[in-house]
This record gives sequence, C-alpha cells and structure tokens, in this order.
Amino acid sequence: MNRLALPLLSAAAVALLLAGCSTAAPTNSEPVSGGTLVYASGDGEPTCLDPHVGGNYPQALVATQYLESLVSKNKDGEIIPWLATSWKEADDGLSWVFTLRDDVTFTDGTPLTWEAVAANIAHLQDPATASSTGYLALQKVTGVEKVDEHSAKVLLSAPDSALLDSLSQPWLAIESPTALKRSQEVNCESPVGTGPFEVTAWDRQQSITLERNKDYDSPPADAGHKGPAYLKKIVWRFLPDSASRYAALRAGTVDVIDNVQPDTIVAAEKDDTIDHLDAPRPGASNRIELNSGKAPFDDERVREAFIRSADVDDAVKSLFFGTAKRSYSALSSVEKLGYSDKSLFDYDQKAAATLLDEAGWTEKDAEGYRVKDGTRLELDFPVSTNQSIPAEQSLFEQIQATAKQAGFKVDLHPLDLSSWYGALAKNDYNLVSAPYTKVGPDVLRILYHSDGTIPAPSGYFANLAQLKDPKLDALLVQASETSDQDERAALYKQAQQIVLEGYYILPLYDQQNHFLYRADVKGIRALPTVSTPTFYDAWLDR
Amino acid sequence: MRRPRPLELIAAAVLLFLVLAALFPSLLAPGDPLAIHPAESFLAPSWAHPFGTDESGRGIYTRIVHGAGPSLVIGLSATAIGIGLALVLGLAAGLGPRWLDFGTTRFVEVLFAFPGLLLALLFIVIYGPGVVTSTIAVGLSTAPGYARIIRSQVLLVRRAPYLEAARVLGRGPAVRVFRTLLPNLAGSLFVLVTLGIGQSIVWASSLSYLGLGAVPPAAEWGAMLSAGRTYVASFWWMSFFPGLFIVLSAVSTTLIGRSLQNRVRSA
Amino acid sequence: MAGSIAAQPPVTTRTGGRARRWLPWLLLRTGGVLFVLWAVATITFFAIRLIPGDPAEAVLGGPGSQASEEALAQARREYGLDRPLILQYLGYLGRLLTGDLGRSYSLRAPVAEVIGENLGGTLLLALLSLAAAAVIALGLAAWSARGGKGASGVSSVLEIVGAAVPHFWLAISLILLFSTWLGWLPPVSVPGPAGLVLPVLTLAIPLAGFLGQVMRESILDAMASPFVLAARARGEGEGGVFWRHAARHAALPAIGLAGWAFGALISGAVVVESIFARPGLGRSLLAAVQLRDVPLVIGIVLVVALGYMLVTTLTDLADRLADPRLRRAGR
Repeated sequence: MNRLALPLLSAAAVALLLAGCSTAAPTNSEPVSGGTLVYASGDGEPTCLDPHVGGNYPQALVATQYLESLVSKNKDGEIIPWLATSWKEADDGLSWVFTLRDDVTFTDGTPLTWEAVAANIAHLQDPATASSTGYLALQKVTGVEKVDEHSAKVLLSAPDSALLDSLSQPWLAIESPTALKRSQEVNCESPVGTGPFEVTAWDRQQSITLERNKDYDSPPADAGHKGPAYLKKIVWRFLPDSASRYAALRAGTVDVIDNVQPDTIVAAEKDDTIDHLDAPRPGASNRIELNSGKAPFDDERVREAFIRSADVDDAVKSLFFGTAKRSYSALSSVEKLGYSDKSLFDYDQKAAATLLDEAGWTEKDAEGYRVKDGTRLELDFPVSTNQSIPAEQSLFEQIQATAKQAGFKVDLHPLDLSSWYGALAKNDYNLVSAPYTKVGPDVLRILYHSDGTIPAPSGYFANLAQLKDPKLDALLVQASETSDQDERAALYKQAQQIVLEGYYILPLYDQQNHFLYRADVKGIRALPTVSTPTFYDAWLDR
Repeated sequence: MRRPRPLELIAAAVLLFLVLAALFPSLLAPGDPLAIHPAESFLAPSWAHPFGTDESGRGIYTRIVHGAGPSLVIGLSATAIGIGLALVLGLAAGLGPRWLDFGTTRFVEVLFAFPGLLLALLFIVIYGPGVVTSTIAVGLSTAPGYARIIRSQVLLVRRAPYLEAARVLGRGPAVRVFRTLLPNLAGSLFVLVTLGIGQSIVWASSLSYLGLGAVPPAAEWGAMLSAGRTYVASFWWMSFFPGLFIVLSAVSTTLIGRSLQNRVRSA
Repeated sequence: MAGSIAAQPPVTTRTGGRARRWLPWLLLRTGGVLFVLWAVATITFFAIRLIPGDPAEAVLGGPGSQASEEALAQARREYGLDRPLILQYLGYLGRLLTGDLGRSYSLRAPVAEVIGENLGGTLLLALLSLAAAAVIALGLAAWSARGGKGASGVSSVLEIVGAAVPHFWLAISLILLFSTWLGWLPPVSVPGPAGLVLPVLTLAIPLAGFLGQVMRESILDAMASPFVLAARARGEGEGGVFWRHAARHAALPAIGLAGWAFGALISGAVVVESIFARPGLGRSLLAAVQLRDVPLVIGIVLVVALGYMLVTTLTDLADRLADPRLRRAGR
C-alpha cells in the first residue's frame, strides 16, 4: 500500500489539476447556440399569458420573449423601429400611418399585415378582453384603416403625443389575428406572436416552457444580432420565497432571478459567479401619495409638515444598502422629461412643527400626538404586501417613527391585494404607495389629472392624491396633444412643478427592478421600453 | 412527590424566564423595542446586541423579550378558545343523554376531518388574515382534539363514586358538575392547557410566517419571523432567534406538561 | 395538534365480534363517513356565504377583485346565487356528487383539474415522509431499548424537541445547514431524488417526534412483559427480542395514529411545499388562501377531508384485523 501511495497520489493530483484547468478554461467570446435557460420569478404566476388581458408586470416579463410591439425604444429614449419600419403623424394630428415590415410571419404562419394591427387594437379595446393597461393607452384611438397590405392608418379623436410611447409597451404587443379569434381561455394559454421564442407548454403552478422560434428575424433596431435566438429553450418558473429563490440561483438550479432583495444584491456583488442587472422601471417613481381629498391633508401646510417630518434618506440608505437611489421626482429616472427638486424634501422637524402650529394643530395629547378641536392627527396608511417588498414596508415603519416626533399618528395597515384595493375604493386612506409603470411622461396625466379621480367600474381610480387642479389639467391635456418636443418638455416640467410644490407626493426611489443571473449567462439586456429583460441575445457560456 | 429531574428544572427555569419577560420585560431588556436606529441595522450578534439587530436597528434580544407577552397571550388565548369550546362539547357529550353524546361526537368527528391547519386556513380565507383571526383559527383547530379527551375523562369520572354520592345526597346537577366534576377534571385540564400553549404558539407563529397572522412592526415572535424570512440568507439571526424561542416555549411547556401528567396519573 | 396527547379510544362499547358481524360494522362506518362528508360539504357551502360582502365577488377574489360586471353575472349564474338558499344548497350538493368542484378564478381552471394535477406531488411527499418518520422513530426506540436509561432519556428529549419544532423553522435551518453552508443539497425542488431529501426530512422529523413518544410507552411495556422475558430466557439476543416482539406491539398505537399523521402531514405540506417550491396541494392551498380563491380552498379542503376519512377508516380496519382484542370487545 505504501509503495503505491506516492505514485497514485501524484497521479491523482495531476488528474485533479487537469480537471481544475479544464473547468477554468478561457471563456468563449463567440455566442454559442443551444442550451436551456431557467428563469425564476418572485411574482405570482399570471393568470393569462396574453398581456392584452389585464396588463401587469409579470405578464410583461414573460411576454417580452414571445411577443413584439410596433416600435421599441433605445437607451437614449428615442423611439426606434421594430415591427413597424416607419411612422408618420398627419398634420392635424388625428391619424398616424405605420409602415410594417413585409417579411414577418407569426409562429402560426399568419403573415404580418395591416389587418394584424387592426385586429390587435380592436382586441385591446373590446370590453370582453378586460384589458386595463392597453385599454387606457388607446383611449383616443377610434379605428384602423388600410393604406396598403403593409401599412395601417390609426385614427384618433384628438392628437396623442403619447401614442408611440404606448405602442412600445409589451401590453400592446401584436399577436396573430388568427390566434386572437380563438376563445380567450385558449389564447391565454398559448398566445401567438412574432417573437424570438414561442410558448410551447404551460404547466400551471410549475413552469412555462418557451422554445426558440426557428424562423425569427425581426429584432428591434438596437438588438445585438439578427436571426434566430441563441438559446434553444427557456423554462420560466415561479418561486415566491425570496430566500429560496436566491439560494436556488447560488446553487445553479436556476439561471436568472427577479424581485431581488437589496441584501442579496450586495451579497451577489461579492460573488464572482453572479452578475447584476439594474433596470429601473419607467413611469412614476416609487412614491407616497397624500390624499388631498379629505382631512387632514386637504390643508397644504399639513401635507408639507408631514413631508418635512419624514426622514427618508437615512431609511433608504440603511434598508437598501445603497442599491436604491433617493428620488426627488414624480417620474422614474429613466424618463428624459423628469423634473426633480431636492430642496422641497429636506428632513426638517422644526419646519414641520412650525407648519403644524400655523395650521392650527397646536395641542398635544398624552402620547405626543397633535390634537385640534378634539381630533387627533391620525393618518391611515394601507400597505399592499403584494406590491411593497419587505424593505419598503420597513421604510414605512421608519417614516412612521419619524413622523411621530412631529406629532403625526400613522397607522400602518398591511393588507392583501384584494383588501387593499377595497380600502382605496372606499377612500379609506390618507397615505398610500401605488406603483405605476408606463412608458413616457403621459403617466402624469393618468395619475394627476382630475379625471383620474373618477372610479372605473371596478371602483379603482388612479389619481390617489386626489389632485384636482384645473391649471394642471390644462397643462397635461395640452402636453398630450402637442407634437413639438420642446413645447412638450416645457409643459411637462411645469406640470411636475405643480405636483411637487403642492406637496402632494413624497418621492422615495425609482421603481426597483433588479435581476441577478449566473455569470456564465451572457448577452442579457433590459429592453429600454418597460425595462424587462430580453433573452434574444442571451447565450450560455457552459 | 418525586424529586424533579434536571430536565424538568431547566424547562421550569425557561418558563419562568418567559413569564418574567411577559410580565416585566423592562427588567430583562431595558431598551425600547420600537425605537428605530437606521445606522445600526442588520448587525450580527455581538456583546452590545446578543442576538443582533433587525432591519431598523432594533435589538432582537430586546424585541424577543418584549414580544414574549404578546406571543404568550396569543398562545393562551388560542388555547383558552380551544379548551373552552372543548369543555362545552366534552361536558355535553359526557354528561348529557345518549343522543347528545352521539350528536356532539359526530360533530367533533366532522371537525376532525379538517386536519391541522386546514380549518384555520378555511377560517382565514373567510374572515381575512390578521392576529385576531389567526388566534381564533388556531383555537378552533385544537378544540376537537381536546374535546375528545375531555369527553373520555368526563365519562371516566362519571362512574366515580363521589359523583354518585353527590347525586344520592340530593345535590342538583349544576352543583354536581361544578363542585365535584370540574375539580377532578382540573388536573387533566391544567395539563392540557400547559401542553396546549406551546402547540398554539407554534401554530400561530406558523400562520404569521405564512403572512396570515401577526405582522410587523409588532414585537411578536411570529411577526418577527415573518419579517426576517426574506433576509434569512444574509442575516440569519433575524429569523433564527425568534424561532428558537418559539421552540423553547413549546418544548418547555411540553416537558412541564408531561411531568404534570405523570404526577396526576400517579397521584 | 391533538396528537401531542395520545388519542384514547372511545369508552362506549358495543357488542360484536364474529365474522358475520362485519357487515353491520362496515355499514355503520360507511354511514358515518358519508355523514361526515355531508357535514363537511355543508360547512363549506356556508363558508362562502359567511364572507363579508357579495358572495359573487368572493368567488372571484374579494372586494378588490376588480371583476367586471359580466364576470360577476356569470359567477352568480354558475353558483345560483340569486336563487333561494335551499335550491342553492341542493344544487351545490348535486354538483359535488358529479365531481364538479367549481372553478378556480386565480388559475382559470376547474378546481377538480387543479387538484388532480397536484395530488400526486403531495401524496409522494406524504408517503415518503411517513416512511422516513417511521424509520427514525423505530431507530430511536431501538436505541433507547438497548441503551438503557441514558439513551432513553436522550431520545425522549430528541423526540419532544423534534415534535415541538415548527416546520418552517426546521426548513430554514435545514436549508441553511445543508444547502447554503455545506452545499450538499439543492434549496428548492429539482427533478429527481435530491430535491426530495430536505422536504421529506422537514416533514418527517416532527412526525417522528410524535410517533416516537407514542411508541415509547408501548415498547417499554412490551420489553418488560412476560413473553419478552420468555424470549430472553430462550436465549434470543436483544436485537431479536426488540424486532420480533416489542416492535410489533409498538406498531399498534402507531397505526392508530396514521389518520392523525395524514392530517399532520397535509398541514405540514402547506408550509414545506411553499418553502421548497414543490408542486402539490399544500402550495396550491396556501396560494389560494392568499389570493382569497374560495372555490379552490373549499375544493382542496373537501378532497383532504375525504382522504382523511378514507385513511382513518382503513386504519380502523387494520386495527381490528391486527388486534384480536378489539374484534372481540367490539367498538
């Protein structure tokens, strides 16, 4: 045994060295075709894979792989061609002509023609589809006409400067008109598009299987290559527990995860095997809206006092470990036309106290909360546990604590999504944080135009700050109709100034949208439209 | 009286600590469980903070001590609801006429058909999540088990001579129940309560962990677990220590309950 | 939950015993099972109507469901919510008899289909965990029988601690130990046996704790009984004595607990399947509760109740077959 030991050991050592060397081989610089990517989402599984129905972010994430829109956006915020090669607005602004690519077919063989555009817009506007996002975006569209086989004319009731932004979103993607004729149930299970992948199987509560579209060749103008995707297959799983999700990524069981918690982002930065994609969502920033429609926030001084009493900076720093940057704007930092004003949001307890005194809240009760005419300064804050990550819920707790020093009693009510919508519909809130993702500054119209206080049939309304300012309304309407880019920018700036200076909102940070992925997955990028990752250019260096 | 075994002494000491924590938390942990210190968030266990700090810089040890009261109250309430309901059912079955016995036993069987968490989940899907509903839900779920035991105890005691004697002596039924029956049941009831508290704490905190019970910022163990769950990969102490105390409560109450059971049996 | 105190058989007795007497017993049992199922169905029927607010909305996800008017009207038609209560009730029972458990709004599929797809996963987990728990419990019992007072004490404590540990804490600790720190096992479910180890362990350990405690007394009694003395006198080794004689006596109360164990495993599966992302009834049930998907919750509860009744009837049958004393004394 001993005589053989040394040569055996050295042989083993050499073998190990060689094995070690081969796994540390230099990485490929050329994309490799093939392989299966496993994506694990922390969101709930969508009930319908067709983003026309409803229209939320989890749908957008998965639909980005198999559906395409008429136009896209590049990193600089410019609209670029995708399924439409060019577009022209009429002089009176009441119609747009879109010229489509003539070489595209859907995965069911139907060719892409003007009829597809018409069918999709009709589908989105049909109440039976129950589209919320797409429907709202197309409110000014009255119809679609044929110009020629590959050109469609979209008719509007009024000029719409936000139309291109809206059409770039996955919720208005173009599906096969033949497929749209099927029942909604069937179409929800396997929507048919023109994308680099197609839905081949949906094992509910298990996974969605997407496979490469062999005939694909219609990437947006800013894509990394042409022709079919590199990946052969994508398996889309749902892992709601964030700790398990991260553990699965580290173990290599999954390749990409979303809804990444701030502490794991920091941990991943120290880990060479994991990379990070930070893709803030467009639309509104993550903010707290103050209900100016009822007491005590109908008084602007009280609103400002609350905002001055909230120490957000320290909370964001400690809870997000530097992965989230404080925002002082109503809009996401990816919006070119966003306006921000830091001076309005300084943490200043003295100023808060003075304002509350001015507003008549001069007495204090035994616990230190302010009282006026026998009423305590109490604020209801329903929190949606579905939409606010734990770090954000802790942020609200910290705001609650600093607001207490000024004399505000903030009652946090963590609620499930359904009860949360119920509380909002009943006007049972003084503070609320509701995200809204949309491409373009037109989101300000949805959120702050007084029409936004009129509830939809479901009872939901988007203008949760209950801002009703005729001057703001006029600015927003004008901005949505003008096509002069400079005028548009000036109008939106004025609008945002009104919103911020009226202390109707307390901006927190961008809508966080972080992804972690194994370092051997190359070529992932986020589409600059709604910041969903696309795996068209992705390949596995394994 | 047997001399208590070392394990029972340890369990009693743990229980004593928990009761002290529930009644006089500031004695054992002078800090403020709700005060926020963002600069000290997510600190690992150290001398200053024996169990580390949470996401808002609050000491976990302080919060566990101050959370003992609410957590024990939840356990007690759920057990009280369960045993209260079980007493009604068990007494009705054991003392009443045959048809009442038949009916309540069948009813208890029906409740048994909803094993464990299922009855609690059904209750929660109807009345919504929260501390109150989850406490009631846990109480309801434990009631059938206790009812069955109380019923057999009652039936045993029913044959006992002193009950017969009381009837012969002309004491009315209510007197018989309260003066003779309940005191004799007291021993087993006490054991059940002791065993039940630990179990109820475990079930209630499980519901909180699933997001259906207590929620932050309450310094209640289940809520702390729920809050710490996202950070378990990086900051394991946030979930580990509340969980540990839940286990300690359950284990010590079970050990004490068992030794009481043995004493009652041998008495 | 009630298993922390060993279940006692009912004290009422009836005569019985001969083979001919099986039939009445069987009829009575079947009647009892059907009665319980009917009662469970009735309870669940009223469950929907207990929810505050419009039951049609409740079926579709609660007050904030944002259901359209058409969807609400459809739900009312499907559940007959505008008809008199008694007709609704009869309709409900009728649908149950044909296997129509309603429609899950959150999964957009018939409840029966969802249950069918998920039943296998949970059953697999439950059976494996039961087997693992039996192995662990028997192992501990064997050790304490052989090892004397020390081993007996230690295994007793292990059993009590094991039984008291909440599933989620055990799962987190096991994942931390075996996946994050040691890297031996995957933290979430993967196809293949590796993905089953941690979930099964998480379910098996508390169950083993209970089973162990229950078996402990019977085993200790059995090891001190005359026939074991006789076996030892005949020269059988300790191992043989344990496995051939004592273990069988321990098995009896354990079989009796199988019904309860089934229930405990299903409850545990709710947590375990969610943490390990394993497909199954537990995970579906939790998701359904979180989304207030009442039809799916009720469907799963009904199916589990049915299963529970089946298991308890089978174990009672096995009990009677195994223990002649029960056959003579009857129940």
